[in-house]
Amino acid sequence: MRSFRVLLLAGLAGFALTARDTRANLAVADYRYFRALSIDLAGRPPTRAELADFERADFDLDAWIESHLTGDAYAERLRRIYLDALRLEIGPSFQYVPNPVMLRRQQITGPDGAPMFVYFRRGQRRVDPARDGDFCLTQDETGQQFPTNAPPTGTAKPIAQAVLDERTVVVKPWWLYADYRETTPTDVVAPEWVKRFPGFVPAPALLMEPDGKTKATSVRVCREEAQTAETGAVYVSGRVAAKKGEPLPGGRLTQPPGDSGFAKTAKGRAVSCLSGTGFSSSVECGCGIGLERCLPNAGPQNEAPAFVMPARTPLGEDMPFEANPQAPAAWIRMWWGEEASKFLDALFIEDRDFREVLTSRATKVNGPLAQFYRYLAGASCCGPGADVGYSQPEPLFDPAAVPEALTPEDTATWLPVADRGPHASGILTMPVFLTKYGSRRARAHVLYNAFLCKDFVADSVKLSPSNDPDLMKRPGCSSCHQTLEPMAAYFTRVQESDWTWLPATVFPMSNPKCANGKGGGLCKQIYDPAFDKLRGAYGSPVHAEQGPAGLANDLIAAPEFAPCVVENVAQSLLGRTLAPEDDAWKLQLVKVFVDGGYRMKSLVRAIVKSPRYRAGNDRR
Amino acid sequence: MKLAALVVLVGCGAGAITPSQTTALPAHQTRMIDTTPKERRRMVSPEVYLRAYLTWFGGLVPLDVQNRARPKGLFDAWDDYLSALGLPDYKTDLPRQTQSNTLMLATLGRLGEALCARAAEHDLHGGKTPLDQRVVFAFDLDGADSDETFMDRFDVLHRTFLGYPAKLAPGERVTKFHALWTDVAARHAKAKNPLTADETAWVAVCTALVQHPEAELY
Repeated sequence: MRSFRVLLLAGLAGFALTARDTRANLAVADYRYFRALSIDLAGRPPTRAELADFERADFDLDAWIESHLTGDAYAERLRRIYLDALRLEIGPSFQYVPNPVMLRRQQITGPDGAPMFVYFRRGQRRVDPARDGDFCLTQDETGQQFPTNAPPTGTAKPIAQAVLDERTVVVKPWWLYADYRETTPTDVVAPEWVKRFPGFVPAPALLMEPDGKTKATSVRVCREEAQTAETGAVYVSGRVAAKKGEPLPGGRLTQPPGDSGFAKTAKGRAVSCLSGTGFSSSVECGCGIGLERCLPNAGPQNEAPAFVMPARTPLGEDMPFEANPQAPAAWIRMWWGEEASKFLDALFIEDRDFREVLTSRATKVNGPLAQFYRYLAGASCCGPGADVGYSQPEPLFDPAAVPEALTPEDTATWLPVADRGPHASGILTMPVFLTKYGSRRARAHVLYNAFLCKDFVADSVKLSPSNDPDLMKRPGCSSCHQTLEPMAAYFTRVQESDWTWLPATVFPMSNPKCANGKGGGLCKQIYDPAFDKLRGAYGSPVHAEQGPAGLANDLIAAPEFAPCVVENVAQSLLGRTLAPEDDAWKLQLVKVFVDGGYRMKSLVRAIVKSPRYRAGNDRR
Repeated sequence: MKLAALVVLVGCGAGAITPSQTTALPAHQTRMIDTTPKERRRMVSPEVYLRAYLTWFGGLVPLDVQNRARPKGLFDAWDDYLSALGLPDYKTDLPRQTQSNTLMLATLGRLGEALCARAAEHDLHGGKTPLDQRVVFAFDLDGADSDETFMDRFDVLHRTFLGYPAKLAPGERVTKFHALWTDVAARHAKAKNPLTADETAWVAVCTALVQHPEAELY
């Protein structure tokens, strides 16, 4: 009886407390508003505990909103708006398999008769014509032939120990050792790496020896690939190409590389081993310390597995769904996309001026991106540019700006980079943007659409035959291209589907050697014979010299920029397109956004507190 | 004849009626016109749904949810569901789905069923999980069944999935859900494993709520 009384008293006290401390007059609309706020600003519906808080008499909704206008969920909500518009992830249709970067492997028979792996680069320059540009072991030595991008053929025989020692070396590579740069690396891949380097999981095939049982603690790699020099001398073989029908040296299946025009003119000159030119023209360039300039492939083909990674990460890379071994290209493409996401998140979380999305020279990088910008990005340079002396790439992202603390395994640490370099400009110069939108026109188009909320709609004119190369004049084309070509011209000096910058000091706007369609590879690839200008520059040579930063400045100065941001954000939060009845409200929001220094927080605050957000989606 | 025509002409031409001055009608009542465009509710984005789903599953990461939900064929693999939920795939330029479809609703139903069945096994079956550690069914099944006890328990689920108290729900929602509960419990009266009749009935209520239009819209 006594305990019942205690319970009764406690119950009454609880009731009195509840009655005093909760808001009894809350309506369904209030709850729905709070749920909408929670979904948009906290990234999920409210929990029961949060609803209980909401019902408390002293609950301050304004303070709640204010406290949720920052943080990961808020940033993700805004990021989603711009990623839906820009779709900044690269799929397998963009193959990133540059020979200077991709370290492939072949399986041979070791001196003891057991199978063993040997890593190599396709196209690696070597002095011996039997092995130059190809695998470092020949048919005579292994009993096998090594077709391009395919497993070996023929009957394997044990390789002589002396040959193996002469042609190859043993290396402790970066994907097995976090301290690979030490003289004696010891920090070998281990189960505890899951916590230290979440998301960095080498494919099982990279972690095991060919027997599938023994853990790999080092790799055997062709001697030339293991070189660590920063520069190499341009090599000229002086070889004469074999005539048709003549046997190829060493039983190889393809012709050894010949001497390029660049090699002949620059013989002995030092070239950067970080550039594609260094790779293709010097026998002294390798994959660097711990093979850090290369990405491993568990096979000889283009897309052999390398890293276990999720195919999709809708909740971010730290909340992975199913993962499976994927090629190193997929690994790099994923981190390119993550760079854009982290860059956008920083803008929103730090409530920075949103115009920086296009203009900022800052970014954030983690270990894989640091490795890419330091060692891999230059590999696509310089192609025919070498013929005019462009062998040391002038980067969009200065490798010297990359934080030194990051190792390639360090996927979880994101460090800021205050200034990528003079050519950098927001997302416009990030690899994910430049490869997702490979052509100059595609780049201009998506920006026109996402940041000015405009699109190109063709005129309904009668098309007449024309061979005018100037699309700004050609009937039927001109209505769109009068705007598009000058915008696309801003990307003239960034190679298409790549990030290689074409500096004016090496590539003048017009090159007399290429005039009137003259000249070879350089003239055809870099210059447009129809206009005697750099390709893509004819729409506006002035824009071409300004580069992507010029386009960024044009876009943010456009009168459509701020209204477009407002439109994108408001439409996403309301879940509907803005109607003419919204025009006055939109104008108010534009003023809020601009007066607030183009910061998202003021804009989102104004939207979620507006009656339109609160009741607009309640058609009853 | 001429005279008759003259009479008609004189009769028609004389005394023309001129329109009076237009004036506004006097106001009877002043009402504000709401010109705000009205639309149907928004779909909860798949990202939000997934995050909510993980929260309802006890804050697990996606792969743990998959492992926990998979036994007895209740769940396959996330990859089988992600596209059906309407997620965009930026890699292949597949846009976000902004309208529901039958496949999406079937997927939500399947996910909801997996959640509720597994949560009932964790929270209710055996009655060993402390109340504060229950992920969905944060109530006891002890005591007699009555409208009042059902309401209290139903309110827990209603708040979890729809975000407001059951007493504010429209129409006869509580009555209808109680009828559902009673019907399912009766049909499983002899069941003991894997769930008892009461537990199975709560799974049915939970499954219906988690895929209620109000849970998927906002």
